[in-house]
Amino acid sequence: MKRFILAFVAAYIFLFLWGWLLNGVFLKDVYAETPNLWRTQSEMMSLFHWIIIGQALIVFSFVMIYASGFAGGGVIGGIRLGVLLEIAAIGMRMAIYAVQPFPGKLIFYGSVSGLIEMIIVGAIVGAIYKPKPAGTS
Amino acid sequence: MNWKKFFFAFIAAFVFLFVFGFLWYGTLMQGAHHEVPTLLRPESDFKSYFPWLILGHIVMAFFFTILCVRFVPTGGAGPSAALGALVGLVYAGPHLISFAVQPLTVKILFGWIVGALIQFAIAGAIVGTIYKPAAANTMFIKERSH
Repeated sequence: MKRFILAFVAAYIFLFLWGWLLNGVFLKDVYAETPNLWRTQSEMMSLFHWIIIGQALIVFSFVMIYASGFAGGGVIGGIRLGVLLEIAAIGMRMAIYAVQPFPGKLIFYGSVSGLIEMIIVGAIVGAIYKPKPAGTS
Repeated sequence: MNWKKFFFAFIAAFVFLFVFGFLWYGTLMQGAHHEVPTLLRPESDFKSYFPWLILGHIVMAFFFTILCVRFVPTGGAGPSAALGALVGLVYAGPHLISFAVQPLTVKILFGWIVGALIQFAIAGAIVGTIYKPAAANTMFIKERSH
């Protein structure tokens, strides 16, 4: 349980900082090209807690999958899980691109950064969370 | 890996994900989506973007099937549905983030989250039912247990 919480907190801190750096700094100008798709800055700030909860849910579910033994073990197991989850999410992004008027470059940047993000999240979780050896209580 | 079973599981997952998506997001939630028309492509544009919808579902189904097959090697509807539900939860996170930054309604947010959970849990059950470990391995496990 202790390692679960540690893995969750470490991966969450990374995801939060990465999300802020990517969406709040690097892609700021790309988002500004399509203002009709986004809430106003003041609206976003009033709903900021949903970003916190959403990121926490991503990390919590990721660690749950890993800890449930689905992913095997170690950093490689974590990275493998991150890569598979993210490539399936890229498929979802393509489907969303078909129905929502996002610019293609936003989908591209989002997919590349999402892949890097999930590789690092997987490595963090795989490095921190270690299942108890068999036979120990 | 049993590629023949994998291929059948992938096709079944693709068909299910696509049909469920059409029924849930495209039909059942159509009214909710039209409450925010700026978030949708115009009908005329949608046709030219349709290949992205197909390709997206193929990618999603293919890698979700790999995920189930690699991480639930024993197969079975129950464990694969549990993995699918957790995958649905992973994808529910970005929906919550979208709600904070895009002008979505609570109805849309709720529909997307519930849809993702149901969609991936059932897709997992389908993959787990079709893809089972090879008979030789099962025999080995049975013999060892005696």
